[in-house]
Amino acid sequence: MSAIMQPGFWIFILTMSGIYGIFGLGLQVQYGVGGILNFGHVGMMALSSYTMAILVISHGINFWIAAAAGVAVAALGGAFLGLTTLRLRGDYFSIVSIAFSEIVRYVIFNSDNITGGTQGSLAIPPIGDNYPSYTDAWDSILRHVQDFLQPIFGDIVDREFVMAIFIWATLGILLLIISRVERTSWARVLRATREDDEVPAALGKNVFRFRLQAVVIGSIIGGIAGIYWALESSLLSPEDFLTVVTFYGWMILILSGATKVKGLPLAAIFFGFLYGGTRFFTFFPFSLVDSAQRAYIRIMIIGVVLIILMMKRPQGIFGKRQEMVLE
Amino acid sequence: MADFVQLLFNGLVEGSIFGIAALGISLVYSVLRLVNFAAGDFLTLSAFTTYFFSVDLHVPLVLAVLISMVIGIALSLFLELLIWRRLRKTGAGMLALFLVATGVAFVLRQSIALTFGSNSRKFDIDQIKTFEFLGAQIAQAQLVVLCCASIAITAIAVFIKKSAIGKNMRAYSDNPSLAAVSGINVQRVIIATWCISGAFGALAGVFQGTVQGQFTSGMGLDLLLSILAAVVLGTIGDAYGALVGGFVLGLVMELSTWHVFFGGIPSAYKPVVAFSVLVIVLLFKPEGIFGVKARRI
Repeated sequence: MSAIMQPGFWIFILTMSGIYGIFGLGLQVQYGVGGILNFGHVGMMALSSYTMAILVISHGINFWIAAAAGVAVAALGGAFLGLTTLRLRGDYFSIVSIAFSEIVRYVIFNSDNITGGTQGSLAIPPIGDNYPSYTDAWDSILRHVQDFLQPIFGDIVDREFVMAIFIWATLGILLLIISRVERTSWARVLRATREDDEVPAALGKNVFRFRLQAVVIGSIIGGIAGIYWALESSLLSPEDFLTVVTFYGWMILILSGATKVKGLPLAAIFFGFLYGGTRFFTFFPFSLVDSAQRAYIRIMIIGVVLIILMMKRPQGIFGKRQEMVLE
Repeated sequence: MADFVQLLFNGLVEGSIFGIAALGISLVYSVLRLVNFAAGDFLTLSAFTTYFFSVDLHVPLVLAVLISMVIGIALSLFLELLIWRRLRKTGAGMLALFLVATGVAFVLRQSIALTFGSNSRKFDIDQIKTFEFLGAQIAQAQLVVLCCASIAITAIAVFIKKSAIGKNMRAYSDNPSLAAVSGINVQRVIIATWCISGAFGALAGVFQGTVQGQFTSGMGLDLLLSILAAVVLGTIGDAYGALVGGFVLGLVMELSTWHVFFGGIPSAYKPVVAFSVLVIVLLFKPEGIFGVKARRI
């Protein structure tokens, strides 16, 4: 159990919960405001991180431009998904959105000569004789910040520590922006479409366009999470973007009470414990399975939590029940 | 030409499996308004239980398949009592149903992986024996699957059309409150729906395991997307539509690899083809092939 005592473990949990918190915030805009059930959110993460990695590694493009391009591609992915399927019934959209993310992963998996295929970003063909890495520019920034902070806070400041600061700062800024956005008339129209699309339509609002905007904004936020994921893990693999990741985001969203942003950071940290903490499940009955199999248990626990949460407390920790039960 | 016949036959076999699995999902949706994301893992479960009984315990294969169908039905009814009935009582919305179904899928899939391990399995059947037909090589296993699937599809189509309970199911899915006040036993309809879905999911799993040769605990998940595509293509909630959707997708997915079409699409992209077909159809017919045109927003 000694690993729990180490600050590195807590910082790891903070980092992970921050990334998935940002990711969940993207879903928050789509569902919490617009009532859109997007189950393909992880596809946006995959699009942004792989776009960024390929641009840096194969084309030698500046990291910041590549990261912006990655987020832009995620936005385009969201626009494509919305334009083709948002006019459909709600449940059709959900099914097609899952398929969208799976197809993104499938194409990444099978396009060996561009994405590195099964071997991940290490096999992306680099420009010249370079080592296929996309984190150089980011690492030098982290190092500068680390050199600045270390005299103040001591040895606890390592790469992960600085990373966690950046991620939580980003999450904080995004939370501020989104909570502002949620008070605009734009969000009010969207919230009205969530309850009933005929009334806003009768008032001359283009319901489809509002929903499309919500999907694109959510995808941009998902794309930002993807960039951080790429920087944190420092190498990418198609396995990082399984559909289960989308449900990590949904779990955070439900825990925080989907219609409120203020609970999101706490919900994200709670999720972080589930995500990072299962490695310490060394006691009975988990001691019966070996460590490789314990990864299965993590997903199983997430499944159980989802079921119990939706059955017992669908409004989450902070939400209002009447805003969650629509039918 | 021989290639074409081969692909056509493969497509029919795959399509019959998709159709059977899609029918269960569509039926459950029509009665319970639930998209059962766990259906893929029911397929996996039955493939593994059939393997367990037939290879490990030396039970005759047909009997092992029947036992697996019973297990599929029992598990469906267990989940109905434990989860779905309670969720319906609390008036859970679409999101709750989606997320709980996903949660069930996660638990089921990981339990299968934990119980049976990550090794691939193979039924104890003759995988090598083939017949030649118009230049195409048709495996005995495929032929058996196609015959069994055709019988199952015909039986269920007649059952839904003619039997009292089938008529009740259709009435209930058309208008639940009207059906309930006209004296239809709703509980019986729901139980029958889960029985059909459980049994057909199990059949589809065994068929897929047979045709594939080898299977792992990821089999159902890999198949789920194509099955869902078939469900939506045939208009969700329409049992006959699901069968047609299954065959259409099976054929399109196989034939897309034919070299005459732009040199053939690599077979790794078959699921991508399935969903591209779905999206294109939905662009023109947003409610699926058999859907009634609804108002657009």
